[in-house]
Amino acid sequence: MINIGGIPYYILEFGDELVYFTPYTLTLFLLALTFTVLVIISRPEKQVDIAFGGDAYRTKEISLSEMRFRRFMAIACGLASMGAMVTGDIFNFALFTAMVGITNVGIVAAVKSPHVQNAAYQYGLVALAATIPLFAGAAVYAAAIGSLSMIELMKGTLPAVPLIAKAMLVIGVIGEGMAPFYAAKAEMFRAPGAPYVIMCSLSSLLIFLRVVEIVMLG
Amino acid sequence: MWGQYSYGLFVVMAAAVIAFFALSKERDDLHKLLLLDLVEIVGLGVIALLGTDLAEALILPGLTVGIAELLALSQIYCTKEGIRDIPVRGLNIEVIAKADAPLIISLFLVVYGMILSGFTGGAVAGLGLVILFISRSYREDLNLLEMASGISWALWIFAFFVFMFLPQYWFVALMGAAIGILLKVTVKMSLVGTMWGEQHD
Repeated sequence: MINIGGIPYYILEFGDELVYFTPYTLTLFLLALTFTVLVIISRPEKQVDIAFGGDAYRTKEISLSEMRFRRFMAIACGLASMGAMVTGDIFNFALFTAMVGITNVGIVAAVKSPHVQNAAYQYGLVALAATIPLFAGAAVYAAAIGSLSMIELMKGTLPAVPLIAKAMLVIGVIGEGMAPFYAAKAEMFRAPGAPYVIMCSLSSLLIFLRVVEIVMLG
Repeated sequence: MWGQYSYGLFVVMAAAVIAFFALSKERDDLHKLLLLDLVEIVGLGVIALLGTDLAEALILPGLTVGIAELLALSQIYCTKEGIRDIPVRGLNIEVIAKADAPLIISLFLVVYGMILSGFTGGAVAGLGLVILFISRSYREDLNLLEMASGISWALWIFAFFVFMFLPQYWFVALMGAAIGILLKVTVKMSLVGTMWGEQHD
């Protein structure tokens, strides 16, 4: 047994679905759950612009419908991250990761501001491009080792996973998570709506941490 | 088998590299989106190369995710560029609007789709309805169609639960799933044919 994330506490095998909790994935799952609950109960903030060289400041008005949509997207993002944390199936992980990518773009794209829309579109293109290596990586996993189950991978009896499959999976997660691109661009942080934007960062961090475990399994 | 798989993988990779190279040269936002969709379809080839039942089961979610992202990005593009909805009322081609040909073609497609059944049959039958709706420019109450789609989807899901919990009744579940997905895809595709971007609530 290869136990990167510790010995599984609980394994649920139901039809095609495979869910397991190790100390590692349970921690990540609880983190995603906590932040989703925080998003549900927290109240959005209004962004304040301060005029340089004076005391003047103004708050930006954000419509309720926009905030509702962003809250929905942030909750969906939290649910997708939770799914990606506990799933024991590589293809399901790819699907949840793609969903994280879509909801990340959705959180930002709801803002009615040209530069934010433009940035969201560019990141959407990156996320769309990243689904190709993501799903291709999962498919090469299935082709090379004949299984998509992480529990089977843990047993260590399967043939070695080709490096290209791991590389494609990681590249896919990098593109979907947006994190490296995200930090480099200020447009998204300038988008108003404080508690929801944090789900972008958190979900990317979580799927990165999870893909490290998956890559080290086989 | 592995040899063929490797060659196929190589062809897909070469196609993806060409498309990504074109993408790096492209400056227009809309063209970038179209090129990415092109790469996406080629990329599905990697899954298809598995050549097993599993590949068929995996392509569908892969394709769905791709289409979902494509739709989301097109919506962002429309908002970004300030493009407004222009209601279109069918094709204004006199021959199509008056002749019997669309009716015959759609009837043929619907009957053939029902014989095929399942997802493929739904797509074929839906295509038939799309042709009819496009050519005739109907103004129907779409809420009923949406409800039918929802109910048939529920039938499909119910059939899956029968597969999981009562495997001995697999034949009933198979028929339920086949009919459910047939109706759902047919209705969804005919909605695609009628909802020409008009605001509808």
